Amino acid sequence: MSATASVRKTFLRHPALARLCVIAALFLLWEIAARWWVDPIFLSPPSRVVSELGELFETNGIPAALRITFWELAVAFAISVAIGLVVGLAVGLSRFSNRSFMPIILLLYGTPQVTILPLFILMFGIGPASKIAFGVSHGVFPIVVTIVAGVQNIKPILMVAARSMGASRWQIFRWVIFPHMIPSFFAGMRLGMTGVLLGVLLAELYVSAAGIGYFTTLFTQNFDPTRLLGLISVLAAMAIVLNEIVRRAEVHFGRWRTD
Amino acid sequence: MSSRQDRRDRLASRAVQVGFLAALMALWYLGTAYWGVSPLLLPNPVKVWHELADILGSGEYLPDLKVTLGELAIAFAISCTSGITLGYLISRSQYAIRVFEPLLAGVYSVPIILFLPLYVLFFGLGPGSKIAIGTSISFFPIVLNTIAGFGYVDKIYVTAARSMGASDFQMFRHVLLPAALPVILTGLRIGFTVALLSILGSETIASLAGLGHRIVHLAEAMETARMFAYIAFAVAIAATLNTLTSSLERRAKRQ
Amino acid sequence: MSAAGDVAISVRNVSHQFGEPGDTFHVRALADTSLDIARGELLCLIGPSGCGKSTLLNMIGGLLVPTAGTVHVGDKAVRAPLPHEIAFVFQENALFPWCSVIENVKLGMVFQGVPKAEHEPRARRSLEAVGLKDFINHYPAQLSGGMRQRAALARALSLETGILLMDEPFGALDEQTRMILGEDLSVLLSRTEKTIVFVTHSLGEAVFLADRVAVFSARPGTIKEIISVDEPHPRNPSFVTTEKFSQLRNRLYGLLHDEIRKAVEQSAMAGPQS
Repeated sequence: MSATASVRKTFLRHPALARLCVIAALFLLWEIAARWWVDPIFLSPPSRVVSELGELFETNGIPAALRITFWELAVAFAISVAIGLVVGLAVGLSRFSNRSFMPIILLLYGTPQVTILPLFILMFGIGPASKIAFGVSHGVFPIVVTIVAGVQNIKPILMVAARSMGASRWQIFRWVIFPHMIPSFFAGMRLGMTGVLLGVLLAELYVSAAGIGYFTTLFTQNFDPTRLLGLISVLAAMAIVLNEIVRRAEVHFGRWRTD
Repeated sequence: MSSRQDRRDRLASRAVQVGFLAALMALWYLGTAYWGVSPLLLPNPVKVWHELADILGSGEYLPDLKVTLGELAIAFAISCTSGITLGYLISRSQYAIRVFEPLLAGVYSVPIILFLPLYVLFFGLGPGSKIAIGTSISFFPIVLNTIAGFGYVDKIYVTAARSMGASDFQMFRHVLLPAALPVILTGLRIGFTVALLSILGSETIASLAGLGHRIVHLAEAMETARMFAYIAFAVAIAATLNTLTSSLERRAKRQ
Repeated sequence: MSAAGDVAISVRNVSHQFGEPGDTFHVRALADTSLDIARGELLCLIGPSGCGKSTLLNMIGGLLVPTAGTVHVGDKAVRAPLPHEIAFVFQENALFPWCSVIENVKLGMVFQGVPKAEHEPRARRSLEAVGLKDFINHYPAQLSGGMRQRAALARALSLETGILLMDEPFGALDEQTRMILGEDLSVLLSRTEKTIVFVTHSLGEAVFLADRVAVFSARPGTIKEIISVDEPHPRNPSFVTTEKFSQLRNRLYGLLHDEIRKAVEQSAMAGPQS
């Protein structure tokens, strides 16, 4: 087999390899474009961004801003999960609550919350509270909606079977409804994390007096693409890690699901 | 349960909803009129209503609305054409799907709004950066749904058509396209919604014009009542556009 | 014809309707029906679709309270599930998909209130009895339809009730699997002394398994006739090829054919129901 044919075969068997090559090619394109094609006040090559990451972290206030952002994300997520679980179960378990409150919840879920961002800041100030509040406001809805679906989707035959074996109402909740709803809960958490990320980051970018928003505005106004890209990369990495954690949890705990 | 019971239940839940919303409105009114909630935080609903009437009557909203909708139209047009084209090309090969789909899904999972400052660096505070972010974010649901639509057409249809001698073009026109259309239309709807949201969001964060900017401007000027009016207006516009796209999607799917 | 032995289940003038006359959804599911089921017998309920045989089964098991008439198990009136006396095997997959096979069986015992120490031995015993000894840690999604129903049967058996109610347990399976499961079931049940009520659509299955077969008329159904199958348990697989089997099967066919036609016409008149 010729060299090209065997290389081709390796790629065909391992699409992940091809993916890595695509990513590498994109980074290469970025590098070339930034070095030779684009004005350096607009774009920095990845090599410089990485090598000057150290300087970025030494910039006064950056590590603190990053730490606060991460903390805001964690707190907002925790609160979203807590509220989402309680509200989701309350609405999902009672057919009456479901009918009464679901339309209201769906209505709120569908509104463009970004329009009331300035209002959140007015109400909660420019500190972490408003970021957390905005994050919770985005993260709680997918959790409620998926939990309600998980509780409502249970096949009636499973409830009938449990009842026929003498299960009490508590036993039905503990052993039938609750385990059934767990995959939905984790799927909801994954969507909730996406929402929390969006909410917290939007709020952070908006408030340009402190935190991440201050630095993005600063780097933009000073035409410092190196540090701006560095900051964006760090935040993107944070988002990827958080998303991955929730995604893995979903895969692990949703194991019995075949659909 | 019998239908009589069912009807009673539905009325009862409807009553709870109406009651809940009425209670909210009542609290809002009482809070601002009698309980001394700061008008800077929560304006009097009557005042908001007057401001809204003023905005609509004077046509003051027009320039901002035009800016926002203009950005939306251009961003969506770009992401639509590029998303569907790229999605179709990728869907032609199962291998390409396996390579690119996880990549695209992975990039989409990062909050792309993070790139807004970079776009502002490139394009300034004008419509350019908003169009850029709107395109960037709405591109992904469109391309992913196009891949899903074309890429996962049930093999049996393709086999049947081929066994009857269909040409490549016939295959596309009469088998692939109709089979993929529902999924693609959903992607377009999602892309449109997401484009609007990201444009409003970027106007809020860094802009000189547009509905999002107007709301920020009023917030900074502490004109809370007028800001509320504009928020209501923006939400109404978004809701109208959403209903329009949803019903368009449904009508197209029915055919 | 009544069977020998004392009466385990007594059904007296039972009828049932869903909804009330005048409602959009009003169905007379079962017309006045009476029946005595002897202890230790296997009774089949067979009839056209919608004749009320599953409704009757649910009423015997306490999942449904009849709008008229009574059901007694021993001297107890049945108005709610009696998990210590009655166990069910359903047609659809009623195994909990998030539990493995053995966890499913154990969960049934948790519901019934069996002491924890007995869960493991009982579960293993019943799973071995249905032939699933090597699959106890598998999940339902990993098993074939026939194996899932074996697991459902094991769960019911482990509850060690006196009565077993089976609602078309093999209805979703293909012919060959049904045949095998039917033969295995006959062997298994001959070793127990349970009273079994078995709903089925299949004429052959009814004759092969049952001591008596109750034939239902079309909706609103009532028992048209009860046929006795006088053949010792466990039934030999070759019973199916005998003259006696054919005669009984033909009798059933004669009783059922018109009722089935009637039921099909009824549902055609009712129109498509989503």
